[in-house]
Amino acid sequence: MLKCKINGQDVEVAEGSSIIEAFKATGQDIAHYCWHPGLSVAGVCRLCMVEIEGNPRLQIACNTQVQEGMVINNNSDKIKDAVKWGLDFHLINHPLDCPICAQAGECQLQIQYMKFGQYDPEMAERKVKKRKVVDLGPKIVLDTERCILCSRCVRFTDEVSKTNELGIFNRGDHSEIGTVDDRPLDNPYSVNTVDICPVGALTSREFRFQQRVWYLKNETTVCNGCSTGCSTKVYFNEEGMWRVKPDHNDDVNGYWMCDEGRGTPRFVNKDSRLLSAWNGQKDEGQDLEAGAAAKAVGQTLKKVVAEQGSDKVAFVVTGQYTDQENRAFLSLAKDLGVKVYHWVNNPEKMDEFDGLLIRGDKNPNTYGLKEAMKEVGVGSPWSELESSVSDLEYVVVAGPENHFAYSDLTDKVDLFSKANHQVWFVAGDHDVLRAASNKVSLIPTKTYVEKDGTYKNFEGREQRIRRVMTLVPGALSLTEASKLMSGQELLVDGNVSESYRKTNFFSSNERGYL
Amino acid sequence: MFQLSPAGIDFVKTELNRYETKRSAILPCLYKVQEENGGWVSPEAVNHLADVMDIPAAHINEVLYFYTMYNKKPVGRLHVQVCATISCAMNGARELAKHICDKYQVKEGEISDDGMVTVTKVECLGSCGTAPMMQIGNAYYENLTKESAIEVIEDLKKKSTNQ
Repeated sequence: MLKCKINGQDVEVAEGSSIIEAFKATGQDIAHYCWHPGLSVAGVCRLCMVEIEGNPRLQIACNTQVQEGMVINNNSDKIKDAVKWGLDFHLINHPLDCPICAQAGECQLQIQYMKFGQYDPEMAERKVKKRKVVDLGPKIVLDTERCILCSRCVRFTDEVSKTNELGIFNRGDHSEIGTVDDRPLDNPYSVNTVDICPVGALTSREFRFQQRVWYLKNETTVCNGCSTGCSTKVYFNEEGMWRVKPDHNDDVNGYWMCDEGRGTPRFVNKDSRLLSAWNGQKDEGQDLEAGAAAKAVGQTLKKVVAEQGSDKVAFVVTGQYTDQENRAFLSLAKDLGVKVYHWVNNPEKMDEFDGLLIRGDKNPNTYGLKEAMKEVGVGSPWSELESSVSDLEYVVVAGPENHFAYSDLTDKVDLFSKANHQVWFVAGDHDVLRAASNKVSLIPTKTYVEKDGTYKNFEGREQRIRRVMTLVPGALSLTEASKLMSGQELLVDGNVSESYRKTNFFSSNERGYL
Repeated sequence: MFQLSPAGIDFVKTELNRYETKRSAILPCLYKVQEENGGWVSPEAVNHLADVMDIPAAHINEVLYFYTMYNKKPVGRLHVQVCATISCAMNGARELAKHICDKYQVKEGEISDDGMVTVTKVECLGSCGTAPMMQIGNAYYENLTKESAIEVIEDLKKKSTNQ
């Protein structure tokens, strides 16, 4: 370990650390564009200037290693002047079109300008005009004018996704990033380049012009797109969830996440959700209160088990629910004495892994489900259900919330239609379910951003998800549904987590700062 | 579709072995491509070279677009590069370039109607003592006057059509 002093604060860092890492370790503020902890050092933005005692010239913090006893500061007037000039040069050809820029509000140029700039521009020359709206495929739009050539995105495609699409072409003030012949930037991790872009050069086609970022709250949670379980930040407002970004977690996903995981708003948001319970057959039926529906189902199940035997009912579970929900649901099955079957959506792809993050098992909690089934002592082979389904009175399905990963949904609905009744706990509203040929009860469930609990990822790492918003007030978690089905009542949940009540950073005390 | 000749592919392989990293070999390989592709590097040629060298096309394009010595647009059979930096400029390089353009009725950087001549002004070719001068192919033509320059070009045109 090396000792050094950062702005008067003593700090110990590992040998080989750069000065900027020491700054990050102390939590001190340092301006930078091109340096990113998950990428190699480029040293091109010249903004992270620091003064090292005994060294007559300013050094860049990202490419200078800490040495024993270094005394470093970045709060002198000399540094402020250097950063101001660095910023001035970055802004020479920047179009300053913040009012129409989707990055405004989280743009590093704006942030640093408010800290170090606020000068009268001394540039008299005309700005170089470059290409404005470059179509880089289905996910990304490029604005070459706004780019400050930090090369983060180029390094990302070279080092992390290893797809090498991006490069810096031409030279001098005509330099611009781009792909060869404007080919689409369409790899499974491409939207990470949007996250790491410090300015508005790379914007996500899905999110641009949708919301101003300062009107969105964000909260950390765990992605439920696959069994990797990346830490993510979800951005939301009262209308719903708008985007998902990766959150730093060295143990799971580093700084990145896949593009597929960013699609969770598709099945979380209200327009695709089942809003109340429904009882019916072949598109005709009636809406019910979810709680009342669950209670009624519970009573009927008990009756069927008592009168016709427990082999007339089967429970089907998926790896889409939290550990707590799994335990409650499986315990209910155990109490009723019915058999439980594990619905595996894509058995042939379950063990696939692309070497970076994406796994073939598109359930967040398969590991936890298997563990819970073992613990509770339930679980029967799927083939048994397939052969016995036509004898069943009731099939109770804890269905998927991420129905995009369940391409076999329709097949399974057809299969369960052979029983007399099917009961679905499901988050999305699916026409195939309402059109099923037997009697169907649909009970809306909460998605992963509306409930607390834990997921266990592919290696059994237990990670907490939290309730960040409520989109469908009537929806039940599987725990609540199981309680109601077993005849208990729900208590008013006074234990709302602190984060749920968190005020909007931008809209409350800090508004106007940016 | 552009394809490197067998000799060209051998050249690329030799260059690849010469350096520690593949990216180092891009410059000479691009010259070879330009030579075999009629004086310019087309996007298809870049893709072909990327396949031969087994490196991403973006890495090749980064080099290609950095240097002006690679032509990104088609050129005539004779690419007349008139030096227009200080010494040559003082000795009438701009007038010389304009004279050649007028003579072959071609704008700077474009191809004459017969497909023979492209004239471009380039930065210093390091032959200041013999200004004004021009480069056609790999040869220098020095101490030019308007007349001698045209003479050189006519001569080369004849040779090139006879071939």
